[in-house]
Amino acid sequence: MYTLGIDIGSTTSKCILLQDGEKIIGKSLFVGGMGTDSPERAMDSILKSCELSAGDVARTIITGYGRKNFQHGDGEVSELTCHALGGRFVFPELRSVIDIGGQDAKVIILSESGRMSNFVMNDKCAAGTGRFLDVMATILQMDIGDFDACAAKSSNPASISSTCTVFAESEVISQLANGVQREDLIAGICASVAARVSALARRAGVTPMVCMSGGVAKNGAVRRALEQSLDMTIEVSPLAQYFGAIGAAIYAHRQVVKETR
Amino acid sequence: MVNEIFEQFHTVATAPRAQMDSYLKQGKKVVLTSPVYTPEEILHSMGFVPMGAWGADVELNRAKEYFPAFLCSIVQSMLELGINGAYDGASAIVIPSLCDTLKTLGENWKYAVKDIPFIPMTYPQHRKPAYGIAYTKAGYERVIDDLEKLGGKFDASALAESNRIYNRHNQAMRRAEELLAKHPEITAAQRSDLFKSAFFMLKEEHTELVEQLIKELEEVTPAEETIPVIVSGILTDAPQLNAIFDELGFHIVADDVAAQSRQYRTDVPAGDDALTALAEKFGNMDNCSVLYNVEKPRVQWIVDTAKARGAKGVIVAMTKFCDPEEFDYVMIKKACEAADIPVTQIEVDRQMKQFEQIRTNLETFRDMVNM
Repeated sequence: MYTLGIDIGSTTSKCILLQDGEKIIGKSLFVGGMGTDSPERAMDSILKSCELSAGDVARTIITGYGRKNFQHGDGEVSELTCHALGGRFVFPELRSVIDIGGQDAKVIILSESGRMSNFVMNDKCAAGTGRFLDVMATILQMDIGDFDACAAKSSNPASISSTCTVFAESEVISQLANGVQREDLIAGICASVAARVSALARRAGVTPMVCMSGGVAKNGAVRRALEQSLDMTIEVSPLAQYFGAIGAAIYAHRQVVKETR
Repeated sequence: MVNEIFEQFHTVATAPRAQMDSYLKQGKKVVLTSPVYTPEEILHSMGFVPMGAWGADVELNRAKEYFPAFLCSIVQSMLELGINGAYDGASAIVIPSLCDTLKTLGENWKYAVKDIPFIPMTYPQHRKPAYGIAYTKAGYERVIDDLEKLGGKFDASALAESNRIYNRHNQAMRRAEELLAKHPEITAAQRSDLFKSAFFMLKEEHTELVEQLIKELEEVTPAEETIPVIVSGILTDAPQLNAIFDELGFHIVADDVAAQSRQYRTDVPAGDDALTALAEKFGNMDNCSVLYNVEKPRVQWIVDTAKARGAKGVIVAMTKFCDPEEFDYVMIKKACEAADIPVTQIEVDRQMKQFEQIRTNLETFRDMVNM
């Protein structure tokens, strides 16, 4: 049985095709999330690469910010639930998921048995999210993908406000004007995101094993700063950006199994 | 029949101005009552129609001339409505001193809304000892003085009668609330209308409707249980919020909401002096973030009520910038977790246009308690 999970975020659309709830047989990721044609393109792409048609898929579950507006699913589930399921699929001992997406940050705590026991979300604020990094990359005229390598060269990370993206933006401009080195600024920016998110994680009751999901998981500088701030090892998987879609596909599989019992 | 009664609650709850105009047309004088607790019984006994003024979901513009942005939006929206004339025709507003923001509301009201006199009601922090009751009584006497300036006349026997009317309403509301806990088919929106309409009707009129509802509900077979939860907070009347509760299958089996059940938990005790008895009522009130009690019994009340009503979780609807509620939240969360009762917090205010974050939070919470 094939189930499809689609995670429509604020900046990207991700799909995972699961066989019998256990094996990932395809994945796709397109830049562009809610309000673009990327969800459809991601879905078409994964079906094509797996040589399947929509009729071969037993159930499709949508998650992420755009889950309400996508017409090709059989149901929708909160992205927190999906990140918890997806994270536990990749790391069976997982207890905490730190999901930093394009628009928000969330921390999900799991019990030993894998049940969600707590969660917190940042609300109405871009600080501590991928959007914060995007804004800073624009100011610095850099590709966000280069942040990691650049931050690694820093010997004296700059101090950046962790409270507000707008204030931090003018702070970075002032620091640039004062001649602060670019690598120190980037290290400071990543530490700022980490400071914000680690407070969220502590509030939720972060417990090892911890992993990161979402697009920002790819940013090694943020991850290292988070590890330092939380004094915990943070696992990261090449599938980190797909946790939501994996979780949605698992959820779809569980639904079908439950209904056919 | 049940839905027809709820339709009447809905009509009143969604058109308070029409309700006020109707009372004014009957030659009655309306006095606004601000959150959280005002001595409505006194107003009622002196011939005024007490009408709840808990603000509304409006854009805040003029209120910002008086308040900073980081202040409770319930209070800000009250001032906004006052400035914009939504309360025109009211004879006065009674504002109690139960939180710092309400204290500033009274002072700002005097300057911003000159046509509707501000009547302060200053409550004591220590309300239970004899000196606290005497202080409350003195506060009530001050309210009576101000109401007499507006043409009202105080009479102890009339207050005794109003106390009785209010006690009967309290009892009806408590019974209705108990019944709603057994009827998942009654929506969160309908439940909200029941409580909200009570602010805009004379209590004897509202009691009549509530007693009809009780009679009907007692004869209806309840639907199958969905997801029983307790909701706690100051205010949960936003239609979008209640629609999400309903859409996700949450059944509110009890509430700890200031604008709902907290209003009706305590009756005026028996006593020879009606005004002292009313002050004693305030002394007996508890389990609320704005009623000082170092023991914080409210926390255990939530845990015990959740267990007694079979709630699968507690949803705390935190009014943005409400310090008293925020202080209590930490204790509520810890106590619920210790009792193995899942708890989540959503943030609400009077200016919300987008409820998607709340939806995501509550969807996740539903999965958390169900999976």
